[in-house]
Amino acid sequence: MTFDEGQGYAVLATLAAPLLAALIILFIPSEKKMAIRVVAAFFAAVMLGLSIYIFAAYQAGGDQIQMTLKWVWVENTAFLGKDGITLHLAVDGISAPMALLTGIVAFAGTITSWKLNYRPKDFFILYFVLIAGVYGTFFSFDLFFFFFFYELAVMPLYLLIGVWGSTRKEYGALKLTMMLVGGSVLIWVGIFAVFHEANLGTFDMQRLFAAGNDGTLSPTFQKIFFPMICIGCGVLAALWPFHTWSPDGHMSAPTAVSMVHAGVLMKLGAFGIIRLGIQMLPVGAEFWMPGLMVLGIIGAVYGATAALTQRDFKLLTGYSSVSHMGYVLIGLATMNQIGVTGAVLQMFSHGVMTALVFLLIGALYDQAHTRDLKDFGGITRVMPVWVVFYTVAGLANVGLPGLSGFTAEFHIFVGVFRAYPVFGGLAIFAAALAAAYMLRMFAIVFFGPFNIRWKDLKDLTPLETMAGGLLIGSIVLMGVWWAPFTDRIGHTVAAIPGVIG
Amino acid sequence: MVPLENYLVLSAILFSLGVYGVLARRNAVLVLMAVELMLNAVSLNFVAFAAYLDPDKITGAIFAVFVITVAAAEVGLALAIIIRMFRNSATANVDEVAQLKW
Amino acid sequence: MGAEQAWLLAAIPAGMFFVLAFFGRYMPRQGDYLGVLAIGTSFVLSFFVLADYLNFYDFEAGHTAIAESIKWSTIGVGESAFKLRMGIYVDQITIVMFGVVTTVALMVNIFSIGYMKGEPRYYWFFALLQLFVASMLMLVMADNLLLVYMSWELVGVCSFLLIGFYWEKRSATEAAKKAFVTTRVGDVGLLIGIILLWRATGTFNIREIIEIAENGGIGSTYLFVSVLFVFLGCMGKSAQVPFHVWLPDAMEGPTPVSALIHAATMVVAGVYLTARLLPLFEVADGTLLIVTIVGLVTALLTGFMALAQTDIKKVLAYSTVGQLGFMFVALGSGHPDAALFHLMTHAFFKALLFLGSGSVIHATHHNQEMDKLGGLWKKMPITGTTFLAGSLALAGVVPLAGFWSKDEILHATQNWDGGWALILLGFAAVMTAFYTTRLFIRTFMGEPKDRDVYEHTHESGFLMTFPLVFLGILAVVAGFVVWHGVGTALGFPGGITEFVFLEEPERYHINWALAGGSVAIAGVGIFLGAWMYWGNSTEKSTRLANWNPGVYDMLVNKFYFDEMYQKAIDRGVLGFSYLVAWFDRYMVNDTGVDGSAQVTGYSGYILKFLQSGRVPNYAMAITLGVVGLAVLGLVVRA
Repeated sequence: MTFDEGQGYAVLATLAAPLLAALIILFIPSEKKMAIRVVAAFFAAVMLGLSIYIFAAYQAGGDQIQMTLKWVWVENTAFLGKDGITLHLAVDGISAPMALLTGIVAFAGTITSWKLNYRPKDFFILYFVLIAGVYGTFFSFDLFFFFFFYELAVMPLYLLIGVWGSTRKEYGALKLTMMLVGGSVLIWVGIFAVFHEANLGTFDMQRLFAAGNDGTLSPTFQKIFFPMICIGCGVLAALWPFHTWSPDGHMSAPTAVSMVHAGVLMKLGAFGIIRLGIQMLPVGAEFWMPGLMVLGIIGAVYGATAALTQRDFKLLTGYSSVSHMGYVLIGLATMNQIGVTGAVLQMFSHGVMTALVFLLIGALYDQAHTRDLKDFGGITRVMPVWVVFYTVAGLANVGLPGLSGFTAEFHIFVGVFRAYPVFGGLAIFAAALAAAYMLRMFAIVFFGPFNIRWKDLKDLTPLETMAGGLLIGSIVLMGVWWAPFTDRIGHTVAAIPGVIG
Repeated sequence: MVPLENYLVLSAILFSLGVYGVLARRNAVLVLMAVELMLNAVSLNFVAFAAYLDPDKITGAIFAVFVITVAAAEVGLALAIIIRMFRNSATANVDEVAQLKW
Repeated sequence: MGAEQAWLLAAIPAGMFFVLAFFGRYMPRQGDYLGVLAIGTSFVLSFFVLADYLNFYDFEAGHTAIAESIKWSTIGVGESAFKLRMGIYVDQITIVMFGVVTTVALMVNIFSIGYMKGEPRYYWFFALLQLFVASMLMLVMADNLLLVYMSWELVGVCSFLLIGFYWEKRSATEAAKKAFVTTRVGDVGLLIGIILLWRATGTFNIREIIEIAENGGIGSTYLFVSVLFVFLGCMGKSAQVPFHVWLPDAMEGPTPVSALIHAATMVVAGVYLTARLLPLFEVADGTLLIVTIVGLVTALLTGFMALAQTDIKKVLAYSTVGQLGFMFVALGSGHPDAALFHLMTHAFFKALLFLGSGSVIHATHHNQEMDKLGGLWKKMPITGTTFLAGSLALAGVVPLAGFWSKDEILHATQNWDGGWALILLGFAAVMTAFYTTRLFIRTFMGEPKDRDVYEHTHESGFLMTFPLVFLGILAVVAGFVVWHGVGTALGFPGGITEFVFLEEPERYHINWALAGGSVAIAGVGIFLGAWMYWGNSTEKSTRLANWNPGVYDMLVNKFYFDEMYQKAIDRGVLGFSYLVAWFDRYMVNDTGVDGSAQVTGYSGYILKFLQSGRVPNYAMAITLGVVGLAVLGLVVRA
């Protein structure tokens, strides 16, 4: 067993941990809620540790793809040739930070759900299956398993929102699932088209990436199928105009699911665009990128504008997510090193800060049972820690230097200016709108005369503070010292053939 | 040896009779019998082709046995359904039993 | 320590921010002394930096700046790699800013111990002061525009938190929001400008950008546009027209914060950055003219606005904006030395005036309306006297600090474009002298307007009077450093304008005509003010106001800028936002998404009638289908 293979088992363990957790919880009687919570927290901690290990162990100067583990599933039968379908797990410079993000958000989500009292057993089983799907998608270098895990991540959402949600939960859950499944159909068609066109008899991504670059996948083919895959994945990344599941879905979802969904799942969409779009269909990507750029800009400005007058916390965050995921798409559409790196940075940054925001909204909603901004006022008096946390998350949203949002947005802006200066101006303008809607919310909710109705509100519990502290730590780390992230991401991004310097 | 065509023609006649029975008859038991007729036509085809095309193997015959087995199971199931139907609505006329929709 | 370690100046207060923010509330006295200690250390260290710099400084040999930087991040490899470096750059401008920022910040910190006593969140106030000062110090020593932008934004957010310090008051929150969003609009321009400059030069380093631009490496139109964008940021931060609206509202913050914002840590950032990038402005044809015009318009407009204000702090706020306008005029005429000299003297006397008004407000139990004050000099001799010194300096009376620096600015503009700038500036200076006199007379002289307030007034304690006296002395003597002799005696290579220069040092010589004019300007303004308000009588001024109420209303309402902006935001931005939100809900979601779901559902509703529930129908359909397929197969094969 080589060292790389040994590390591959660490990747496998990261993927197996949530599945094992789900399995163990399955055998715990549902009345033993405390045992369920302890098991969940334990496995979440294990996942966090393994994710940190994977992020740290990825060598920014080494091979592109590290920690490879390859188990053949089916090969040399019927239409499949060598390496037909393999469980090919590995880590590259893009999936390393994404794994770290998943570990952090999943851990924070788990300990935030500590106080969940309604059917925690079923909740955690579905939750961990979802997490396994997310990890699997980030680690898979095989199209078949990529799609398998992608669907595995999307499907539990329906139940998680439909059962544990609030505020028109059936509608939100149904809309979200239907739109995401609609996207999946496009991806599935795209995957088969690629498999057929490449005619290699394999689903292995590394070989298909090569096929995309050496002309085996003809330029015409790439131009036809790139939009399909891009829109299919884009639905999950809140690509305008396929974003409307986001505000409603977030409004309905329970706290931990909002956290994981906005924090990690939405990134799967952008990740899919990178993996299946830019890496596999570089010619098509280059051809269609101006279009994606326009949609990204529209999304960024549109989300920020719509957020300006929202009155519901979660709707506000939902629209700001649309805006921020718009930045991710803008970054990807630049097709240059800086912009694409910025997009991945933004995926991470948006993940941690939105997870934090949803954690805080959940903590408030559990007590106040309302999310209307106008109901609040001056709650800094009763919830100082909550307000400080929210302020940090909000300022990261705004793109304040020293917090992760700035690092990401800065790289994206620089990338856009290199490619399309006029769009760059628009993108920065949307960032100014972010300041307006965030500060408006601050002014209404945190400050002003204290509304005596809220005198009994409690501040964050120690567990929530811990989860929030972890997220804030990541926000600040990336905002101040971003070299560990840019080293890893840039290492991979620079090697993508379609991406220019 | 009887030529293959004869078997095929016989089988086709049997099958057509079955189809006619299924479409024209209104009594559920008769419809079931017509279905059996069609199955027998198919079995006949299997055996005939097997004997003519590849006499060493008995693949066709085995399929025929399968068909008979499945047909037997099907009859058991179908008769049970028809009895339930008759108990519930006092009729075995397939036209009158049309609750199974939207 | 040497100038290479100048980053410690910012690092110490920044570290203290975290100490105070996390542990301040548990400390005895909530840790206020630690705040003073941190800033005091920076203050002392700034002298070490100065000494080391003067040692190193050798213009003949070309040693004019100390630069240190470290690698920060790299994306990609080889030529096309995107490399970022962070570092410090210490030159004369930085040194002057160090001195100004640390001095004023130290005084404000000491003053705050007295002023903020007993306020809620006392520790948090001191923590924020540390961060505010640290980010400003980082801003002035940054060697690249990225770091400038980062500290620029940090300064902005600190001001947001400090202006909104009394967050229970709705007006304070609104003012904080206004300050942040208004400056943020300018910052959009700044960021665009910075990235545009990077796009042309491939670097964020200020020296390198200037070098490339001077060698003609950037197209002239391109450079013009990007420099204008950068200047937009400077206008926002320095509250120049039309971004001036946030600064008077920012008076909602605690008074020591106003002193800090106005003198040292916030509004001068724009002046600093313009001075720092002045070589770029000089290369980009036409930008200097725009800088001058903006400065002039601001100086004049805010002069008018200040005439009708009755809130002490608001008068001072408008005077700050006006004086910043003076500095921009100096920059626009290509004289960063004059601008920085005025920045320095202004910092001292404006901090003094704000702290003085803070002392008044504290003593009169939060009364800052001139209509209720008057005659306070007798009650508050130290505050009154130092306030007088500050006022005279602001009015430009010889030989106080303001005289010398204002004279330098007039001197700088005289050779420039006909002299219309000189005349307009002179007029603005008359107004400055006038409203300063009005402010002083109505607050400290004559008969008290409100007996009750007057009776309860008392002189402030030592912690508050000490900074006043210290700054008062500076306001009197700081102007002398312009003289060559004074400068050399202090160890500098010459007077301040010789020290701070970009192309060639220029020794100060008094220009008698200008100096005389300057004195006359101050005299006219003061005389008019005194004639109008002597003895704290508002009789004459009321008559003047009634003479043309329309004009007076316009002045009281600050030329209706706020109303215009409010309408533009309410109708324009928010209206557009409602429109987008409506479009998203009803068009995209209800029509597009739910609509397609409804179409699917409706087609299902229609198609379901195909299902009759009768088995023979299904059997017939199957049969027909099979026959049809068979026929089709035959046809296709044939």
